[in-house]
Amino acid sequence: MGFSVTTLIFAMVGLIASLSTRICFNKGPSANLLHLTLVMTATVCCWMMWAIVYLAQMNPLIVPILSEGE
Amino acid sequence: MSENGGTSMDLLRSEAMQLSQLIIPIDSAHLAITYLGHLGLIQFNDLNAGKSPFQRTYATQIKRCGELGRKLRYFKVQMSEAGLEPLARSGTGSDLNVDDLEVKLGELEGELTEFVANGEKLQRSYNELVEYQLVLQKAGEFFHSALRKATVQQRESGSGHGGESSEAPEAPLLEEQELNSDQYKQVKLGFLTGLVPKGKSMAFEKMLFRVTRGNVLLRQSFVEQPVVDPASGEKVIKNVFAVFFSGERVKSKILKICDAFGANRYPFSEDIGKEAQMMTEVSARLSELKITIDAGISQRKNLLHNIGQKYEQWNLMVTREKSIYHILNMLSIDVTKKCLVAEGWSPVFATPQIQEALQRATTDSSSQVGGIFQVLQTKESPPTYFRTNKFTSSFQDIVDAYGVAKYQEANPGVFTIITFPFLFAVMFGDWGHGICILLATSFLLIMERKFSNKKLGDIMEMTFGGRYVILMMALFSIYTGFIYNEFFSRPFELFSSSAYNCRDPSCRDATSVGLIKVHNTYPFGVDPVWHGTRSELPFLNSLKMKMSILLGVAQMNLGIVMSFFNANFFRNGINIWCQFVPQIIFLNSLFGYLSILIIIKWITGSKADLYHVMIYMFLGPTDDLEENQLFSGQKVIQLLLLVLAFGSVPWMLLPKPFLLKSQHNNRQHGQSYATLTDESLQSEINHDSHAQEEFMFSEVFVHQLIHTIEFVLGAVSNTASYLRLWALSLAHSELSSVFYEKVLVLAWGYNNVIIRIVGVFVFICATVGVLLVMETLSAFLHALRLHWVEFQNKFYEGDGYKFNPFSFTLIANEEE
Repeated sequence: MGFSVTTLIFAMVGLIASLSTRICFNKGPSANLLHLTLVMTATVCCWMMWAIVYLAQMNPLIVPILSEGE
Repeated sequence: MSENGGTSMDLLRSEAMQLSQLIIPIDSAHLAITYLGHLGLIQFNDLNAGKSPFQRTYATQIKRCGELGRKLRYFKVQMSEAGLEPLARSGTGSDLNVDDLEVKLGELEGELTEFVANGEKLQRSYNELVEYQLVLQKAGEFFHSALRKATVQQRESGSGHGGESSEAPEAPLLEEQELNSDQYKQVKLGFLTGLVPKGKSMAFEKMLFRVTRGNVLLRQSFVEQPVVDPASGEKVIKNVFAVFFSGERVKSKILKICDAFGANRYPFSEDIGKEAQMMTEVSARLSELKITIDAGISQRKNLLHNIGQKYEQWNLMVTREKSIYHILNMLSIDVTKKCLVAEGWSPVFATPQIQEALQRATTDSSSQVGGIFQVLQTKESPPTYFRTNKFTSSFQDIVDAYGVAKYQEANPGVFTIITFPFLFAVMFGDWGHGICILLATSFLLIMERKFSNKKLGDIMEMTFGGRYVILMMALFSIYTGFIYNEFFSRPFELFSSSAYNCRDPSCRDATSVGLIKVHNTYPFGVDPVWHGTRSELPFLNSLKMKMSILLGVAQMNLGIVMSFFNANFFRNGINIWCQFVPQIIFLNSLFGYLSILIIIKWITGSKADLYHVMIYMFLGPTDDLEENQLFSGQKVIQLLLLVLAFGSVPWMLLPKPFLLKSQHNNRQHGQSYATLTDESLQSEINHDSHAQEEFMFSEVFVHQLIHTIEFVLGAVSNTASYLRLWALSLAHSELSSVFYEKVLVLAWGYNNVIIRIVGVFVFICATVGVLLVMETLSAFLHALRLHWVEFQNKFYEGDGYKFNPFSFTLIANEEE
């Protein structure tokens, strides 16, 4: 699974999460905006962390050197 | 200050507040304040600030409430002494009014004091009798033993003397001597009996000896069990003593000494028959007294039990009354119109509720005139009010601990709800530990209802208050645990097999040159092969450091963007063009560029050293790049960014003070034109010029200089500060790894069951103590610092004051 596919998956998950928050916790437009912001922030944070770790491993400059006795 | 068009976001800015004036007729004042207290949405200003507490209108009422409070506290002390706990608040019950309550409490107090005094008296008599009984017993022993000896002697001498002395041994020994000695000197041998505390008995004896020059005989007998001293009520070990002396003066001296040493004296008669009679009398009285005392105690307990039933309710009532009178004291009284004027801050949305409360008070007190509610215009800064629920309130408290938001400035709490647990998790990342914390906090959440009513200890109170924060921290930790691929420091191949494999089937080079990447990148998180390898640390360090920089630059950019939203909201164009834009340009042309370089290096796999790239960007911007080249056109772009960065510094510094000065001058000119045309504006303008500060250009310039230097230097230091994300993450994974390998695996290696059990136990203790408690607190603290300093100093002013409404629920919480 490449980078873009997983990014798309993150986006989908974010969308589904915000929709379900809208359905379950519908409390007026200002509260909805807050919930949306929170879900978006969480999605972006999680995606960023995954993307950083993924990109760092795509073209590695350091390779694992096993220690003796493994 | 105008609002944004379109929907605003909850919690982003303070609720709109207004200064309102309430005019309440006196007869409905008490009720009105009660209803407003139940509503809890208005913060009263003290209109009688100049007056001392005694000059205020309702001082006597407060004194009454104080008296009632004192009585209730007395009851509480008595109840706790008797070991009773007041029952929890049970519904509303009968709503007594204050006068009835006063009478009732006065009655109860009288009864209780009577009981207590009687009880004490009876107890004292009881103790004295117990001591008397002991004296009778022990002193009796002295005389009996003396008598026995005398009888023996008598028999011995009697057999010698024959029938000469026909005295009975009971005859006083000294009668003979009296007859023989001089007639005038009436020497009476007297004795005193009593009890003296054992500790003082030696000193007592010495003192007696010294004072009477050795002319006394002291017999002491030890009492085994401690006796309750009638005077002090404590249990003391005492000795029974009998002192024999002759003469009146000696007697008075001995009496004084007895009093000084706290020795209690009791009468004792030589006559044996009388003594036995006394004994039986004393025992009978003792048992009588005991029954009386027990009856008294049970009666008192009954009374206290009845009080305990109603105690919490009364306490609540008294507290409420007191607070109502405090508020009434803050209102200014308008005697001519027989009404009270109140001034206070309230949220705009609460207006209908306040009006309704006033209306209800008018009808309930059947007053002729209704209360009036009107809004005042003012330039004062309103208090800040965020409507939080139990989830968001703990995050808001974290932000407020640093500083309460200025009225209507953007609230960092909105993003803190997510970014704070996220940064915590970056430093904590282990899904095994995350699950442990999740279990702990779900226990707190399940017991939420029970715990919120109970009074918990300090630490437990804090942990319970932050249960939602800890929940979010645990959830994010599980996520980052999967990304770092650490379950109590063990990696797992959860998503696919590892991407790395040996260069050749024999795996000869595995320990020297290493493996190579043969498959696609491991799809989610860190490849499981890394754990335990020799090159694990260089790889992870590089990864985590770069991640910290990327996350840091992202959060700082978010902070600067928040300052843009603030400037936009307050219609402050100067701040947008002379602060926001140069700040964004400066930060991103240096550290944003670094972030992009990191990403490009990862994508292209270039071997360029980013340190060298950045250093030579500054030292030799026009030199050829050679091995520092990551993408084409890099030299031109670097030159451009350098120019932008250096240009933005004077842009941040210079224009704003000059623009502010010209703004100030325009306003002055505008006002001076106004006075020429319209006289009626005079008062308004005077008020304005009083409110407006003098514009000191030098002050504004220095302020801007400090701001600029802070930002420029801060850009470097704050970015480096984010490296703590790397540092703590490394510490956590190393500790976790050490505990696993050096404790658990080591212990499991032995075949001995006991060593294994001890090893597991030590592993659990170390994990819970060091990793789950200490590391959690440590990561919490550092994530908090990153928010308070690095994130918030980009936009947050935090010099507002919190909305503190008059509310019965808040007062009740404060009491507890």
